[in-house]
Amino acid sequence: MSVNRLLRVGTVAVASLGVLALSACGSDPESSANPGSTSSSSGGDCPKGTLNAEGSSAQKNAIEEVISKYNEKCTDVTVNYNPTGSGAGIKQFNASQVDFAGSDSALKTESKDGGEAEAAAAAKRCQGSPALNLPMVIGPVAIAYNVDGLDKLVVDGATAAKIFQGTIKTWNDPAIVKLNPGAKLPTAPIAVFFRSDESGTTENFTKYLEAAGGGAWTGKPAKKWTGTGAGKEKSAGVAEGVKSTKNSITYVEWSYAVDNKLGVAQVDTGAGPVELSAESAGKALAAAKPAGTGSDLALKLDYATKAPGAYPIILVTYEIACSKGLPAEKTALVKSFLTYFASADGQSSLADLKYAPLPEETRTKVDAAIQAIS
Amino acid sequence: MTTLAANKPAYDGKTLDLTGKSGARAFKNTLATVLIVLCFLVALVPLLWILWTVISKGYHLLLDPNWWSQSQRGVTVRRVGGGAYHAIMGTLIMALICAAIAVPIAILGAIYLVEYGKGTKAAKVVSFMIDILTGVPSIVAALFIYAVWITVFGFNRVGFAVSLSLVLLMLPVVLRSTEEMLKLVPDELREASYALGVPKWKTILKVVVPTAFGGIITGVMLGLARVMGETAPLLILVGYSKNINLNPFEGFMGALPTMINQDRTELALQPAADRVWAAALTLILLVLLLNLLARVIARFSTIKSK
Repeated sequence: MSVNRLLRVGTVAVASLGVLALSACGSDPESSANPGSTSSSSGGDCPKGTLNAEGSSAQKNAIEEVISKYNEKCTDVTVNYNPTGSGAGIKQFNASQVDFAGSDSALKTESKDGGEAEAAAAAKRCQGSPALNLPMVIGPVAIAYNVDGLDKLVVDGATAAKIFQGTIKTWNDPAIVKLNPGAKLPTAPIAVFFRSDESGTTENFTKYLEAAGGGAWTGKPAKKWTGTGAGKEKSAGVAEGVKSTKNSITYVEWSYAVDNKLGVAQVDTGAGPVELSAESAGKALAAAKPAGTGSDLALKLDYATKAPGAYPIILVTYEIACSKGLPAEKTALVKSFLTYFASADGQSSLADLKYAPLPEETRTKVDAAIQAIS
Repeated sequence: MTTLAANKPAYDGKTLDLTGKSGARAFKNTLATVLIVLCFLVALVPLLWILWTVISKGYHLLLDPNWWSQSQRGVTVRRVGGGAYHAIMGTLIMALICAAIAVPIAILGAIYLVEYGKGTKAAKVVSFMIDILTGVPSIVAALFIYAVWITVFGFNRVGFAVSLSLVLLMLPVVLRSTEEMLKLVPDELREASYALGVPKWKTILKVVVPTAFGGIITGVMLGLARVMGETAPLLILVGYSKNINLNPFEGFMGALPTMINQDRTELALQPAADRVWAAALTLILLVLLLNLLARVIARFSTIKSK
């Protein structure tokens, strides 16, 4: 019995020692040891504490990059972002579970099903002050395709609408041939992939199809797909679907198209074919009109824009934050982080990730709105 | 004797010769053996396949000491580096808190059922409730805690809430296995103890529980292994954090299942894909370690029948 007891004690001791050993040496990668970036570098701009945020998965890669950069500057701030989706983010924000939310669309001011409108619920969470919609990241949506030997593809609004509606069924359809003179288009049928989950990308893309399709798109813009094709879950799913299927096409965030090495179609807005680039997407945002008033920066995008060199299919993701009403230390944290996010420095890191930085004019407005948070 | 001897030749017929091989029976025997071996191999295929995939894709990150000592703070999906320390600690902390709450309740409950409540109405009700609790899916346990912790009390999502919902999942497992172990303790031991004038509570404490100790510990370890891989409560009751947070009462907390979930949409990017597989392998190893520990404890603490 005593031997048994000894063994028991031994195993328990070994196990707890292992846990202790593990807990003793945990650290952050290259944390404060990072040369040249001590926490005091920006003086009083860096508060201490933890910020929790949740929402849109479309801005996940952008905000993670910005958090990473921000932490080089402010080492004592921890920012967590959970990409659970825009709807979930707004719900958690309104329930005071997170300090700010990420969303693919501005807070809705009208209630949909008789319940409380998002904006009203958010104002309640902010102790009566309105919540701000701060446009922060532009995520261009690419029309991505996989056709052997086709390096360049041009579509216009009507053709895209017909392809995704299912009225154009083959790659050598006269409408596509007309836009791509001389291109080697196969006779094969077009395989369309769409997002099977409810998605802000689908909503923005269908808004474009409705606005620029000239009546060819019959569905209403919605988070749920109503066109033709085969459903795949999330951006990764549709990108993977196109990658593994010849003669297929889909709409997906630009970064996924690039990461999976898919072809990206140029879009003819009526002012000539426009290639997708950070610059061309920024131009479309500059053409957008403000939908809100005062410091509320919600934008109304013009999907049918004919501005030269503007790539029309873009998705603007917002940060939703209280204008007033958070506890003082949280306010300081939110302000500090969002200020960096909207700074030229913060925005400049986004182009590498295939997001488009905010145009300078919008950026200054966003920055002013953040500085007004108290 | 003589009559028996006289009868003997009557049974000496060739029909009762069992020493030789009968073709049909030998065939059936071989067939059954082959079938069973085949079934075993078929059952083995998915297990080996999973293990092979996870190990071959995930092992190289585990060899890096940083994997065990660093968090993912500041590491985006496009960058290599960082580790799973935050997630391992999160998983261990939440599992240990869960065990600290569930194990005493489960063991005391089992002692009541076996030693005190045998045959009473109350015991039957408790037993029935435990059966129901066994069948509760993890998502339901998570939503129940969400309703209590967040909707009713208005607290924030924290690691402790996850532990609470894991308690609901671990309790029936540990209680049932402890109950079975206590039932296996022979009544003679209890009677011998009573005969020496030892009171009931002392008998339970000094005779019954030590006898069943190995089995009880095995049950606890298996219960822990079961809850460590649960994902639904983590998704609902706590946000994922890439940073080290050792406080279960405040803030988001990393855990291995949610670490896998976080990057599973980015598999086109090699650094993210590597981390997902490595996190999966780490989780498997943790659970395996607990199972092995349970085995070892069970082996060394069984009562010798001598």
